[in-house]
Amino acid sequence: MRAAFSDTLVRLAKADPNVLLLTGDHGYALFDDFRRECPTQYINAGIAEQNMVGMAAGLARAGFRPFVYGLAAFIPVRVVEQIKLDVAHDQLPVIFIGDGAGFVYSHLGTSHQSTEDIACTRAIPNLAIYSPADRFEVTACMDKAYQSKSSVYLRMGKSDRGDVHSEVPQITEGTLLNVTPSLSSSKTDIAFIATGSLLKTAVGIASSHYPNASVWSVPSIKPINSQQVTTICQNHNAIVVFEEHSILGGLGSAITEIASEFSPRRILRIGVNDRFSHYCGTYEYLLKEHGLDRSTIELKIHDFLGAN
Amino acid sequence: MKPKSKAFDCKALRKTVLDMAYAGSTVHIGCAFSIIELLAVLYRNHLCYPNNDPLDEGRDYFILSKGHGVMAQYACLRELGWLKDEAFTGYFADGSDLKGLSDSRVSGLEVTSGSLGHGFSVGVGMALGAKLRGTDQKTYALVGDGEINEGPIWEGALFAAHHELKNFMVIVDENGFQAMGSTQEVLGLGSIQAKFESFGFEAITIDGHNEEAIDTAIKQLWASASVSPKALIAKTLKGKGVPFMENNNMWHYTRLDSETYAQALSAVAESEQ
Repeated sequence: MRAAFSDTLVRLAKADPNVLLLTGDHGYALFDDFRRECPTQYINAGIAEQNMVGMAAGLARAGFRPFVYGLAAFIPVRVVEQIKLDVAHDQLPVIFIGDGAGFVYSHLGTSHQSTEDIACTRAIPNLAIYSPADRFEVTACMDKAYQSKSSVYLRMGKSDRGDVHSEVPQITEGTLLNVTPSLSSSKTDIAFIATGSLLKTAVGIASSHYPNASVWSVPSIKPINSQQVTTICQNHNAIVVFEEHSILGGLGSAITEIASEFSPRRILRIGVNDRFSHYCGTYEYLLKEHGLDRSTIELKIHDFLGAN
Repeated sequence: MKPKSKAFDCKALRKTVLDMAYAGSTVHIGCAFSIIELLAVLYRNHLCYPNNDPLDEGRDYFILSKGHGVMAQYACLRELGWLKDEAFTGYFADGSDLKGLSDSRVSGLEVTSGSLGHGFSVGVGMALGAKLRGTDQKTYALVGDGEINEGPIWEGALFAAHHELKNFMVIVDENGFQAMGSTQEVLGLGSIQAKFESFGFEAITIDGHNEEAIDTAIKQLWASASVSPKALIAKTLKGKGVPFMENNNMWHYTRLDSETYAQALSAVAESEQ
């Protein structure tokens, strides 16, 4: 995923000299290629995220196409007001990259973990939110963000979960991607809707235990195609939403909001249950602490369906 | 650079501010009055808008980072013909465009301010953009002295100096007051000039109500051979021009009634400048 990110960024920057990369003193090694290929388009703004976002707004006003990079705990969460006022208010073409979202920094504790960033940004008008699940979705989201000439938050979570797609998917406005195309038109009992790192988990659980479950990836959390979500709800008796983010304000909330208005269904939201990490450990350990490891999720789904 | 003209007369600008403040029954009159001379000199002598177009790509960038003084800027934009008279008589009417704090959707306003410490950084970005493009555009960010309590100001100051943004000038409206009292009482600033100098700026302190001194200082800073960003520290009076408003922080919040409006108009008409 990170190679796809770097490759796409270099490609865009080489094709458009107005593309600038601003980093808040993060991205060691990640930007080696960029610095080598596009040295004059690389700006390390220092450990000063608020100023970096304001500057990105100024650069966008002057005709540049800034990508603003930081850890998701800082970009966007630390600078929500700068994103709202300086950038999104005028729909300036600034692309925010929040890296390491979720529990990637599992050993470092709460300051570097980010499970509230989608909730913090979803209510900001004019701001799109992308959350790619594999390297193909990263490329698609980067290209879509650049082409949109608008304000985008691109959330990058755990990057080594493996591919789900076999090629770069077409991302149209807010479309959910069916990763079980054989089930696309049939009505089944259950649909799994996932974003980011937990898509791979959803696919694994479906193939092992629920072969009739349709699985959907959501690379665009905002906008989201509410008609498509409604149709998915109409075609299934139960929905499970997966995200490495709080169950409050993220994808689970977005799906639930649409369903409650247009096609109410029982919906299980798999995510962070409104709590901070207590312990440190490996990424897998942290997922387990939050009940987001595969076996705990399987149990939750089993109980949820059993209560139907 | 624009030719000098008699436009942007400070008495006329203050009268416009009083008229709109009365029409809209608004606050922040003192915040606008401390920057009248600064804006008059900038718009009259320094800011370049090719074709009188507020959105021209080659324009100088003027950012009112202290959005609370926006009525003073509205008054200048009217002189430029960018705002219609109706916007002033109908200030704060339902469905009107001009807000009590600056909004970037109004042509001529570069940022949405009111939350403080934003415009300075946007200006640093614009100055960096002009430097990267190799244009001779200049960027000015006018901040309040209370506003420089905000951390991003100093993040941006570090960046501007490190990247030798000699095309960037911060203008500090040092009127000595912020919302809840004097800057000295709330969060003492010490020497603002020394602070910016220590960050690598070339700085001059002047009387912010002396138009000639303002003009001379701006020219002097731009004429410098130094690669440093510039800081103009303007010593001002909050509420300048109306004796009962001067240095009276009540006029951050107080609205005009018919009596104070008439008194203020008379005071402005009789004032020296």
